[in-house]
Amino acid sequence: MFSNLVAARAQMGFSLIFHVVFVVLGVGLPLLLCLAEGLALWRKDGTWLALSRQWTKAFTVLFAIGAVSGAVVEFEIALLWSGLVKNAGAIIGLPFALEGFAFFLEGIFLGVYLFGAKRLSPVAHWLTSIPIVISGIVSAWFITSANSWMNSPAGFQLVNGKAINIDPFAAILNPNTPFETTHMILACYVTAGFGAAAVYAVGMLRGKRDGYHRRGLLLGMLMGGAAIPLQIISGDFNARSLEQTQPLTYAAMEGVTRSGFGKPLYIGGIVDPASGHVWYSIQIPNGESLLSHFDLNSYTKGMNAFPSSLWPPAAVIHLSFDVMVGSAFFMLLVAVVFWGLFLKNKRAVPENKWLLWGTVITGPAAYIALELGWIVTEEGRQPWISYLWLLVKNAVNPAQWMNVSLVVFICIYLVLGTTLVVLLLRLARGPKPSEKWEDLLVDEGTTKIKQEVGA
Amino acid sequence: MEIYAYAVAVLLWLSMIAFAVLGGADFGGGIWNVLFFGRNVKEARSLIRGALGPVWEANNVWLIYIVVGLYTGFPIVAASVANALFIPLTLALIGFVMRGAAFAFRTQPSRTGGMSTVWGLGFGVASLLTPFMFGAIAAAVASGAIPVRNGQGPVALIGAWLTPFALTVAVIALAVSATIAAIFLTVEAQRIDSRDLMEAFRLRALIALGVTALLGLLGLFLSISEAPVIWHGMLDHGWWAVGITMLIGIGTAAALFFRRYKLARVLIVMEVAAFLGAWGISQLPYILPPNLTVVQAASPPTTMREFLYSALVGLLVLLPSFWFLFHVFKFQMAVPQVHEEEVKEG
Repeated sequence: MFSNLVAARAQMGFSLIFHVVFVVLGVGLPLLLCLAEGLALWRKDGTWLALSRQWTKAFTVLFAIGAVSGAVVEFEIALLWSGLVKNAGAIIGLPFALEGFAFFLEGIFLGVYLFGAKRLSPVAHWLTSIPIVISGIVSAWFITSANSWMNSPAGFQLVNGKAINIDPFAAILNPNTPFETTHMILACYVTAGFGAAAVYAVGMLRGKRDGYHRRGLLLGMLMGGAAIPLQIISGDFNARSLEQTQPLTYAAMEGVTRSGFGKPLYIGGIVDPASGHVWYSIQIPNGESLLSHFDLNSYTKGMNAFPSSLWPPAAVIHLSFDVMVGSAFFMLLVAVVFWGLFLKNKRAVPENKWLLWGTVITGPAAYIALELGWIVTEEGRQPWISYLWLLVKNAVNPAQWMNVSLVVFICIYLVLGTTLVVLLLRLARGPKPSEKWEDLLVDEGTTKIKQEVGA
Repeated sequence: MEIYAYAVAVLLWLSMIAFAVLGGADFGGGIWNVLFFGRNVKEARSLIRGALGPVWEANNVWLIYIVVGLYTGFPIVAASVANALFIPLTLALIGFVMRGAAFAFRTQPSRTGGMSTVWGLGFGVASLLTPFMFGAIAAAVASGAIPVRNGQGPVALIGAWLTPFALTVAVIALAVSATIAAIFLTVEAQRIDSRDLMEAFRLRALIALGVTALLGLLGLFLSISEAPVIWHGMLDHGWWAVGITMLIGIGTAAALFFRRYKLARVLIVMEVAAFLGAWGISQLPYILPPNLTVVQAASPPTTMREFLYSALVGLLVLLPSFWFLFHVFKFQMAVPQVHEEEVKEG
């Protein structure tokens, strides 16, 4: 049996790893839908419209699973970490409540978008996708701001271990918020974009080289390709801010075990903070100091500046961080080659086999970067649940049965994940929507529906 | 500032009423999906499938809002309840997830035998489990099973949500959900001119309402010994609310009996509001009996004020959006049916 601390951390970890898959699609796909339908209306192009209709079908079920897995996470904040709620609810509950409103809006306009396709004018239907895009961004912003607060707590004063002078809006606007929220929202577009591109690249490798697949690939590469350079820049800002707000986390990420001047950049490798080595890594002398401070001999605070009882698991953090960064640069490379060939080919979608294979890999790479990024964030804060204030072990719910709960939820995620994959594959293999403009816009009317239901 | 504490408590209590009505109708639909016997069972199930809102995602936001509202406004309550009622809360959450997932999966195209049967079953079981657990949780809170002293309370209780009182309230939650759904379904049946289904759900609504009333009286009787805070509060300052609840209940039965279905729908919503309102009023000044009062449990005034302002701003954005939703679907109340059919086309 695990201790409550281990079981609760495992359950929270599984829940977040599962939920975030749907978060990025819930935020990213609406923009793809909005763009595809907008292009359809602008160019009077039935294929673009068919693409948006097909994505809508997948989005319906993805959004639903995102909603239920999100509900689990909201409950788990108290069910697993009642100590966090008790001590910090008054400080950081507000963004969750605000996110509730954004989620309401998302649900309402999604309802209109999904069920109103034949009841609204085409332009009005397209316009209802815009509030979905916006409320998705707003939801992600509020929730990520709450996570930023855990990393750089603000909006209160600590007197004798008790929080006073609480200011929830100052808590929402904590030092990490601008960097972390931007990074997460861009991650949604990176992942949804390359994810979609990968799906159509698979189709094209299987010989389906038609307008439908080319458009899907093009739009995915457009969104992912636009987001990835911004994401890399945002990541750079994020790391610089971390060196100020969470220096120990930053040291673990970069494998800086000992403070000093002119620290090397370690690429890959296993960080061993006790001995101060980074085994099996590629070293670039003075690289870290140069990248962080634009000065070859600048000073970086190492992990040894902090008591070892507070060290986060540096080996996991450093490797996760490096693989995330590596994945990002791989996506950037594929996007640059794709758009370079696109422009060279006089605006024809490149169909080079190796490029398509590379595009297929960007899909999983984007998801790996996403999950590893969150592992860096969450492991990097250990052993704190709220940095330098509340320890994770003091926040865990003392209830027995935590182990049983862990097992049950793992089973639930396995069942949900499997069913979802089966359904999506079935949807992908099923008949595509008609690409004829008239078929998609003609009012098939409520009469037929009334007859069927009434019968 | 006591006024902020009470204002937030009222806001969250109203959210609970909204969830009980909207979520209750959804859960009740699932209950009838399992419990409907008779010759037109197929038609009834099709009607239920259709009536389960296209906005069930929006319905579950009410629940989330209550939860995060407690985190913000009454964190000690959220933490103490999470510790003490870890087991029933986890069970309710499991039901909640399976139900949502089953609903989403069931409406997907090409429903083939095995998978759809399994998820249909899961849908039914989860629809029974979740309201039952929410009822048991409410009863455990009302009966004062969670004494909090110096910020510490009991952990992982088992007996508290399995007492005769708690089980009675748990079944009441099921019966109320079934009543709401059956009454909503009479209106749905009326809309598609199905006399058979109208009568079938009228009868079931009357039975479910009768069961609710009987269990309600039993619960009231049990509360004398098992939930004394509520019982004394009711005698002291809540008797009129209980009286109103009973009167509206009788009115609902009468409206059903005389086949005034739309009136019955309005009355059952009021009935749920009155029922939960009567509970809340009887429990005052406690938010978590027997120790924590609304004022003691409240977060500092700044937090409460900002929570209320944000709710106000949120509503200013939400209300026009809701208006737009209903405006679009005004002439076609069969929104869910359209969903079903559109999905089948794919």
